[in-house]
Amino acid sequence: MTVAAGIGYALLALGPSLSLFVSVISKKPFLILTVLSSTLLWLTSLIVLSGVWRVFLPLKSTSWWPYGLLIFTSIAFQEGLRVLFWKVYKRLEDLLDNFADKVSKPRLFQTDKMQIALAGGLGHGVAHAVFFCLSLLTPAFGPATFFVDRCSQIPFFLVSAIIALAFVTIHTFSMVIAFNGYAEGNKVDQVFVPVVHLVAGMVTLVNFASGGCIIGIPLLYFIASLTLIHCGKMVWRRLTENRSRQGN
Amino acid sequence: MAIKFPYLLLLFNFHLRLSVSGQLNSMESVPDLQKSMYKFIDGYPCVRLLNLSGVIGCSNPGREMVVAPIVRYKNTIALSQSSAVLVSSDELQSFLSRIWHDSSFAGNIAGVIVESENEFQNKSKGFSPAGKFPLAEFAPYQNTSYEWNPIGSGIMWNAYDFPVFLLSESSTLTLQEAANKNEKNKKAYIADVAEFNLVMQTTKAGTHDSETCLKEETCLPLGGYSVWSSLPPINVSSSDQSKPIILTMASMDSASFFRDKSLGADSPLSGLISLLAAIDALSHVDGLDDLTKQLVFIFFTGESWGYLGSRRFLYELDLQSDAVSGLNNSLIEMAIEIGSVGKGFNQGVKRFYTHTAEVSSATNETLKALKHAQDSMKSEHIIVSPANASNPGIPPSSLMAFLRKNSLSSGLVLEDFDSVFSNKFYHSHLDNISNINSSAIVAAASLVARTLYILASDNKNVSGSALTAISVNVSLVEELMGCLLDCDPGLSCELVKDYISPTSTCPSHYAGVILDEPSSTPYPGYVDDMSRFLWNFLADRTSIPSENGSSCSQGCHNKGAVCVREETDGKGVCVISTTRYVPAYSTRLKFESGTWTVLPPNSSDPMGILDPVWTESNWNAIGLRVYTVQDAAYDHIVLVAGISVTVLAYLAIVTTRAVLTKALKRD
Repeated sequence: MTVAAGIGYALLALGPSLSLFVSVISKKPFLILTVLSSTLLWLTSLIVLSGVWRVFLPLKSTSWWPYGLLIFTSIAFQEGLRVLFWKVYKRLEDLLDNFADKVSKPRLFQTDKMQIALAGGLGHGVAHAVFFCLSLLTPAFGPATFFVDRCSQIPFFLVSAIIALAFVTIHTFSMVIAFNGYAEGNKVDQVFVPVVHLVAGMVTLVNFASGGCIIGIPLLYFIASLTLIHCGKMVWRRLTENRSRQGN
Repeated sequence: MAIKFPYLLLLFNFHLRLSVSGQLNSMESVPDLQKSMYKFIDGYPCVRLLNLSGVIGCSNPGREMVVAPIVRYKNTIALSQSSAVLVSSDELQSFLSRIWHDSSFAGNIAGVIVESENEFQNKSKGFSPAGKFPLAEFAPYQNTSYEWNPIGSGIMWNAYDFPVFLLSESSTLTLQEAANKNEKNKKAYIADVAEFNLVMQTTKAGTHDSETCLKEETCLPLGGYSVWSSLPPINVSSSDQSKPIILTMASMDSASFFRDKSLGADSPLSGLISLLAAIDALSHVDGLDDLTKQLVFIFFTGESWGYLGSRRFLYELDLQSDAVSGLNNSLIEMAIEIGSVGKGFNQGVKRFYTHTAEVSSATNETLKALKHAQDSMKSEHIIVSPANASNPGIPPSSLMAFLRKNSLSSGLVLEDFDSVFSNKFYHSHLDNISNINSSAIVAAASLVARTLYILASDNKNVSGSALTAISVNVSLVEELMGCLLDCDPGLSCELVKDYISPTSTCPSHYAGVILDEPSSTPYPGYVDDMSRFLWNFLADRTSIPSENGSSCSQGCHNKGAVCVREETDGKGVCVISTTRYVPAYSTRLKFESGTWTVLPPNSSDPMGILDPVWTESNWNAIGLRVYTVQDAAYDHIVLVAGISVTVLAYLAIVTTRAVLTKALKRD
């Protein structure tokens, strides 16, 4: 491939995040900080996981279940960290609200809270894309392309960019759903996020099968759009009921 | 909400039924990915060589790498685009001659890749890229159109503007797969390409003949170091220096189309090995000091490129330089050359032919001695016959240089052929160990050893028992063949490692270039493995042990003592031996103040006037890579897709934000 294709793959994976950053996040410094700290948290979780799993790697196995176990434990750990992230955010929210009261400024609006959640999710998503797609993209800037045996119709770099885009979407909007679920005490939303994350992770195992990426990638996008739709519905519900509450 | 759970369970079920099949991809890092993408192919290149009038060999046409899709050669099909052509070993000759005659075909050749020969291929056809009369211009007779090598096609003496590589066995499969994949995917947007790096400095600098390239320092002259030794060592200080000398010679270098695959098993290494075995046999004989004549052995290099070794040796003899101190030109009574002897075995009978120049008393003595030696080995079924009288003269050999210098020299060449080469792979990469027979080499060695003993004792009362005591070590011959003509064990064999630390395992007998200033005591790092091995082997076999066999950590102080096995762990032993290096390079070249200059032709050096003065271009790196490439259009589609995804996402976000803001403000 060439520089053109390399830039194309990078934009495929991270272009929408870039658009989101430019249009929403970059306007408020606090959101930028949230993105950065969330990215850092996600990368730290990866470092801890790799430290724990180091002994067992590389997994030279022809069956899928050691990989399944690896994904399951990693996702479980990351979901646990999400709860931690929420708790830290809650304390921060209380601090900010107290400060606002002291200087007689308005407290955080619902939209502000959602934007913070969005920024947190974006941080996770960008970290995923950088780690699992951009870091592999250096050879793509050279003249050669690469095809994996088990997915021989699509170039490897294209596959990894598309999968990264799906995960960016899932991570970004899951955080909004999750924060809302913790705030409202909505059990469905609280369970929805880890389950979706786990399913998405397991679906990538489909790519192990020969020609599996033809099934795996559409499935992944199905899950991503599911997340997007659920998030949209929830946001609409919250904002309209809020408005109606205020209207009363 | 309830709908979602069954959906998720279904997904779980679905993926559980799929099984993981096939081999697991074992890449663990980005460098591993890079290595899987770009496959380095090991191959043997054909490089650019220059002479006074032009160039030969192969090179990239410019400064860039050559990248082209791999296509298998089919005689009937014309090439539609610039391609890297994969040719099988036996098609190479016809392919290259087609390029010469068909310029439209040649225009689409970006590079050539030659498969390694199949074991089951028909070997009776023969292949020789050399000419039909190699080095005919140096012949001491007029008939230069005689065909000593009728199979010769001369393709290695042409100039090619594209890179040519010979593959090893393992890489042949990789390239064949790539060519097959390209054929299947003819319409698709991907292709397997080969990237050739054979950029030659002379092409970059625009110096296209020896004189300019030596001046610009973009090339180096071909040459090396010949090795001579005497048995027993010559006592330089003693007054009695008038023993007549019997000079026995062999060559250590060969040539081929592909620089690093010139084994030359039959021509000329079989002669070298038999002479080494003969020297070993003679070294165990008692009473060598009482011989009436002095035996001197010399191994030339650079002979394939205009008899560089022999011409330089004769020149140094005239100058009486340090390299040849102890030798007096006028004392050389007879010059015997051991040529190719490896194919002299046929149905249990070992047959050799003697090619002589003018008849003289010394030559007759030698022929008598050969007959005597042959008779002493009746059980070995060795037959030595004179060469056909209708031959125009001696075959291409170092003796030609001797005769050109002095047409009255007495000389004889021992070969395994009569009127034409019996070697069907002369100067080709296929002249390897399977082309020769060790029994022929052992027979030649015994013959030569006994003949030399008889000659040196001046034919006087040589007892049968004395002759029978001279026996050739058969395991030494086989060991030398394994070390010098094969990659396994190659130069890492015990025999070679006992004397030197070799720089590579696979032997190659291309003469190479001469590095730095030529001298009789060169820096060992500038002398190639073969010369160093010969020097140490000969010094060891022809030596008289020095006092106490002292180590040479402080140098060897005794007169006539040299340090043997200096490179090995034992750090060397001092022995008394007359073994010297003689530089081998064209008599038309002179090294002064760090550069080489070409001397004008001199009438006192008639062979120098004919000398093409071969040099080899310098280069940075040589290599061959194979990788998959996709259409440029595809790359642009990907870029456009990435940009459009980014833009669409931006629009969606802006729209959503507008909608949400409006919804919130609807109060």
